[in-house]
Amino acid sequence: MLEGAKSMGAGAATIASAGAAVGIGNVFSSLIHSVARNPSLAKQSFGYAILGFALTEAIASFAPMMAFLISSVFR
Amino acid sequence: MITPNSPLEQFAILPLIPMNIGNLYFSFTNPSLFMLLTLSLVLLLVHFVTKNGGGNSVPNAWQSLVELIYDFVPNLVNEQIGGLSGNVKQKFFPRISVTFTFSLFRNPQGMIPYSFTVTSHFLITLGLSFSIFIGITIVGFQRNGLHFLSLSLPAGVPLPLAPFLVLLELIPHCFRALSSGIRLFANMMAGHSSVKILSGFAWTMLCMNDIFFFIGDPGPLFIVLALTGPELGVAISQAHVSTISICIYLNDATNLHQ
Repeated sequence: MLEGAKSMGAGAATIASAGAAVGIGNVFSSLIHSVARNPSLAKQSFGYAILGFALTEAIASFAPMMAFLISSVFR
Repeated sequence: MITPNSPLEQFAILPLIPMNIGNLYFSFTNPSLFMLLTLSLVLLLVHFVTKNGGGNSVPNAWQSLVELIYDFVPNLVNEQIGGLSGNVKQKFFPRISVTFTFSLFRNPQGMIPYSFTVTSHFLITLGLSFSIFIGITIVGFQRNGLHFLSLSLPAGVPLPLAPFLVLLELIPHCFRALSSGIRLFANMMAGHSSVKILSGFAWTMLCMNDIFFFIGDPGPLFIVLALTGPELGVAISQAHVSTISICIYLNDATNLHQ
């Protein structure tokens, strides 16, 4: 019973990845938009996009972190 | 507490030389060992490239690497922190440079198999981010005096709204102490655990003694190999991101909403 609930909790924790997927997609779609509008800023915007990607990805990794913690640490 | 064969097993802290000072647990553990190892490797690298009074005027590959790292941080400091003269900014440079080099070498060091990721422990990253938060608060009070408290209230706010806004600005400001620590720790831990889990898949499939699993085994194996690349990228970009966020916090503390 507890084991099943733990697995369900760990699985539910990974739902949060959907938000991160939206965020990362948004970062890169904005990059493509802005580069298409002003290609001369491509290099600078790419640097900002990588920074934004890293920040979003950092939040994204909270979800697997919680999943691992729930499934491995609690007993 | 952590069961063997769990993906979190790699983060266990083991005392190598047990020591106790009174009631204080002061053992030399594997995080200390790997911190010392990385620190001595970095110091050796910097020492060897700056031999003979500053290296060669035409750098070789190692010297280029060190110069690249050294040149990278002043750019960040100059870009992110505004409104100060160059000399004042240079005061912050050594601290930010040390933080960047610390993360830059500690994070990828954890990707070496059978080594220990120092930055995957919340206590270590929290200590780092909390000490930086205290330092930034001190810098803010030093530069602005009691005007530093105006950080919590933007100019031109109607008085009835002020109590809520002070609360709304203070909570994120204090949460900064936690957030950069949590960010580094969560990235390192989640990444390393997922690599470990996927390599566990590959190993279990190989040991099944079943021809179908044996044929399917390269699947998880290549996922592990493909995941190692982004992991290294995350390790390096997290060093960059945490350095940038420190610079942004420092900019907020010195310039106060300008």
